[in-house]
Amino acid sequence: MARRIVVVGGGAAGIGAAGAAKAADPTASIQVFTEFEDVGYSPCGIPYVHGKEIPSFDSLLLQGKEYYAKAGFDIHYQTAVDKIDPGNKRIVLDDGEKVPYDRLVLATGFTYADPDVPGLELGSKGGLYFVKNIRRAMEWDKYLDTVKQAVVQEASPLGLEMTTALPHRGIETHLVDPHPWALAEVADPDIMQPVQDSWEEAGVKMHFNTKVEAYLGENGKVRAVKTSEGEIPAQLVVICTHKRPNAQLAQEAGIAIGSTGGIVVDERMATSTEGVWAAGDCVELPHGVSSVPIQGLSGSHAYAQGKVAGTNAAGGRRRYQPVFVPWGMVAGKWMIGGVSFGETLATALGIPFVVGVATGISRARYYPEMKQVRVKLLADPRTLRLIGAQMVGGEGIKERADFLGMAVRKGITLEDLATMENVYSPPIGALNEPIAIAAQNGLAELGRT
Amino acid sequence: VSSPSQWLRRNSERFLLEAAQADMARRYLGQMPEPPEGGIVPAFWRRIFVPVYRRIPWAIRRRLILAMPGSHRRPWRGLGTFGSVAPPSSEWTAPLQATEGRHEQGGS
Repeated sequence: MARRIVVVGGGAAGIGAAGAAKAADPTASIQVFTEFEDVGYSPCGIPYVHGKEIPSFDSLLLQGKEYYAKAGFDIHYQTAVDKIDPGNKRIVLDDGEKVPYDRLVLATGFTYADPDVPGLELGSKGGLYFVKNIRRAMEWDKYLDTVKQAVVQEASPLGLEMTTALPHRGIETHLVDPHPWALAEVADPDIMQPVQDSWEEAGVKMHFNTKVEAYLGENGKVRAVKTSEGEIPAQLVVICTHKRPNAQLAQEAGIAIGSTGGIVVDERMATSTEGVWAAGDCVELPHGVSSVPIQGLSGSHAYAQGKVAGTNAAGGRRRYQPVFVPWGMVAGKWMIGGVSFGETLATALGIPFVVGVATGISRARYYPEMKQVRVKLLADPRTLRLIGAQMVGGEGIKERADFLGMAVRKGITLEDLATMENVYSPPIGALNEPIAIAAQNGLAELGRT
Repeated sequence: VSSPSQWLRRNSERFLLEAAQADMARRYLGQMPEPPEGGIVPAFWRRIFVPVYRRIPWAIRRRLILAMPGSHRRPWRGLGTFGSVAPPSSEWTAPLQATEGRHEQGGS
């Protein structure tokens, strides 16, 4: 009898798991359950459609429903799972139907942290927008044409994207965040300053060190946001609070949950319960430098984890690895990015570090559209091994973040980076690589030139 | 429902980040941190937990952090072998602190 593999969740991790399970065991029966109308789309692309960089939501969908059906996936759309029952190896749907499985993969994703302020009952019909579902995003996109003023609540990665996107629609945009600068839980203030300057140029009103205290409504629609610094008129509030692991089904089934609230997994993405794997935003993973478990990573992490979980659920052997978290994004007119720790996070955790900083250029100084690139490297003061980096620049941030992610993983030192070879070609690379200059400056700081 | 480890992590993360952000704001933005909200519980975390945490040598601090339940306690190849922050003992915490001081003077 064919192995029955059930996947709960149809995002990057769920579809990655289903595809990998089918590849590892083509005879397996693969069932995917999702509460949404679609699977396998890119929710990360939604802010760019709202900002008109991408003309249509259609391009965010990877494949149509027919593709998955033809590929042999039995996908149950708009079907919520009410309970998982590992003892009897079955899941229970919200209509009470029981679905048996041999192997289960949980890819239940995230939920936004509850803003926990009065007025939340206004809901989506009242102008409170949680960006997640592509169908709802299509409806919101039409609503955006009617909005004059909007508040983006919290300068999280999504908050940065929406703060960048909304002014493109001619919307007066207010960013309200309780921290002293944008993305302050991840990025350092010197990295974010150019971004904030560019938002100011675009007309964004920034309200840092400011808390949202209530959503104020009139006739069922939001009319303003009450903050610790006063009222801001708004017809739209984009709520970009923390992404929390959606691990409730697992928790209720007695599967181990970690200190982040995410499902505990090992390198095979196996949970504490036999026959159950998990992947994506619902799990926590150990950080490669600190070993501290973390959650809420990127879609590429989720997809890769899903492939590991799906392969192993289908009887294969595949491992994931501790994460070093290279990241990058466009914010305002700039690209920002990094890997592992910045100074803020390393200081909070109390990891010893030294810093090397440099501002270089992305192309030959005389070549058109040359951009500045600021690189900050963090290294262990004893071994000089790289433990983190942050960058802001006009181009080439993603590639540097990917490279530095691997550099941290492989134990590359400031000395290695200070003497690295680099591509020099006027249209694509300057004589001096900013990473190398930052490393040289870090060594000089230590008197080790 | 939050477990004790989730409660501890949520609060320690919040107040350690708040303290680190205040340090960064002073260093890079020339700003004094905003006056924090009052109350006995936040005062405990700010005035007792954060200063005590910062005084504990990193090696001990790290052991305490890793004693919490989580994915890091399950098999992961290569985990805990990252040399720079997985010290074999606390012997090297003193030179590290000296270097930290040098970094702070340098103002990065």
